[in-house]
Amino acid sequence: MNVRRWAALTRRELLKIARNPAAIVTSLMLPILYLVLFGQGFNFGSSLSALPPAQRPAALHTLFLGAPDYFSYFSAGMVGFVGVTATLFVGANVIFDKLFGTLKRTAASPASATDIFGARLVAGSIQPVALAFLVLGLAILLGDLGLSGLHITVGVSVLGAFEIVVAILLLSLMFASLFLALGFTIEQPQTYFALVNAINLPVLLTSAALYPWGAMPAWLQGVASYNPVTLAVEVLRINFFGDAFYPYAAWVYLLGLIAWAAAMFAIATVLTNRALAPKV
Amino acid sequence: MTDAIVAEGLVKTFNGSVKAVDGVSFSVREGEIYGFLGPNGAGKTTTLSLLTAVLGPTAGRATVDGLDVFHNPHDLKQRIGLVFQESTADQDLTGRENLELAAALFGVPLRDTPKRVDYLLERLALADSADRLVKTFSGGMRRRLELAVGIVHSPRVLFLDEPTLGLDPQGRAGFWKIISELRKEHGMTVFLTTHYLDEADGMCDRLAIIDHGKIVAAGTPSELKDRLGGDVVTVRPIGDGSALIPALKALPGVTAVTPQDGTLRVKCPSGDVLIPKIVGAATGLGIALAGISLRRPSLDEVFLEFTGREFREDEGPTATDRAVFMTRFQNSRQGRR
Repeated sequence: MNVRRWAALTRRELLKIARNPAAIVTSLMLPILYLVLFGQGFNFGSSLSALPPAQRPAALHTLFLGAPDYFSYFSAGMVGFVGVTATLFVGANVIFDKLFGTLKRTAASPASATDIFGARLVAGSIQPVALAFLVLGLAILLGDLGLSGLHITVGVSVLGAFEIVVAILLLSLMFASLFLALGFTIEQPQTYFALVNAINLPVLLTSAALYPWGAMPAWLQGVASYNPVTLAVEVLRINFFGDAFYPYAAWVYLLGLIAWAAAMFAIATVLTNRALAPKV
Repeated sequence: MTDAIVAEGLVKTFNGSVKAVDGVSFSVREGEIYGFLGPNGAGKTTTLSLLTAVLGPTAGRATVDGLDVFHNPHDLKQRIGLVFQESTADQDLTGRENLELAAALFGVPLRDTPKRVDYLLERLALADSADRLVKTFSGGMRRRLELAVGIVHSPRVLFLDEPTLGLDPQGRAGFWKIISELRKEHGMTVFLTTHYLDEADGMCDRLAIIDHGKIVAAGTPSELKDRLGGDVVTVRPIGDGSALIPALKALPGVTAVTPQDGTLRVKCPSGDVLIPKIVGAATGLGIALAGISLRRPSLDEVFLEFTGREFREDEGPTATDRAVFMTRFQNSRQGRR
């Protein structure tokens, strides 16, 4: 890896992101719709959350793992959702760079596959982290506006805030690696988007991002426990609502995320190296 | 003088059956402009892609600037410049940003970069639009930017793949003026592919004519033209003209008569003097002529001589085109689930 080449390629990626605000707005559209429509309409338990904690039914706590209402529970889930969906474009950009010939130029330069992959990975993971915090801010703001909003019930410590950033970053790194691997391997944009859709929805629907945990059947809880989106989302929930309902401490979930991200990174590196090697 | 490029028995097969490059050997001397001339699909770009380590070979060896291309691709990429047929600049970046990126990728020292970038922008008449996004550039500006990117690190050997494709004659002339000046200033070796005959004739010190993946002739443009043995008179008899062949061969100065697609190609040192004699011979034999034409030696004629075909830019899909198309078609079918 050559730092100057990597930095120059990362600068290029960041310039492209900055010059395409439409893409940022598009990646925010889905979470915003979820927050202002789905979350508002689905916020069961909201009338009970106004009660002092001691008077709330215990079932509510088991249902939402300590969160005061569904919206608060689900806001943390939306951050995980953004961590996945905001990384989509990194793979699509690789395919468009192939179609426009830009990747051909980079591949013909002395830049290594690691430089090329690394620049896209870093630039592609910064954006989801920024968007995740925008989503969090919006969820809290909605509550202040008198709508259903995110109510954080325990004070978030500095370590907790750090854990949250690391969790979102690891989730983004993992999915950016996955989508980059697809982007470098696939030639057609249609194929890419079809595959991405085939991945995203199952990932989301087997995670604890949307479902109230207490309402999930045991087998789905079992699957969701290993889902990287669940792992990231639980780190947020532990820091927002306390750890009373979670079997492990936040760092255990972070270890799980590190394993996922490392595995995906390794696979993606191999596939990218293969894709950028001279065609024999 | 040493050789800047040596290729020995290069073979590239696609899909196990289509030979795009079929045993190509040649060498380019240092400082030379060497051209590969041939129709679309002849194997020009494939050869160039092999020499620049974009493609791996099926067989053969090659060295560029003394480096083994297939064992040292990384070192090679630092020493060569490559200008692709198509525009590869990033449309969302400015001309300057594209050049700065290239400078970093090709290892131009950081403190020399601003000076080098300014120099190239100035040199290639892009200084006024340097800070505009490339998507607003005209075709000619994009070509010049491609060239600037290709030579940002002052490469020892510059590869140009159909560099003036799609440019108007004025743009082409301007492009070549810059290339010859840069070559004089930096002593670069230039390898180019083209299917513009006039370009090959005017620009190249030496050239190879490539057809169906094989070099069919090589030499300086004037050597190649000399091999034609002078002018070519094409005689088009009405009906069967084979009776005319011995009579034509007997005419003074005629060196060869070749029947081709119902015409007879007559080679001779000075065609204008021969034409009345040909007409006389045909009249004497009672053979009517539909037409007669004279062509001075040109690369068109050279191409026809060595490939047996007229040089046309559009010859329909070649075997390589069809193979590439089929691969894409199969890929897209497999990719659709």
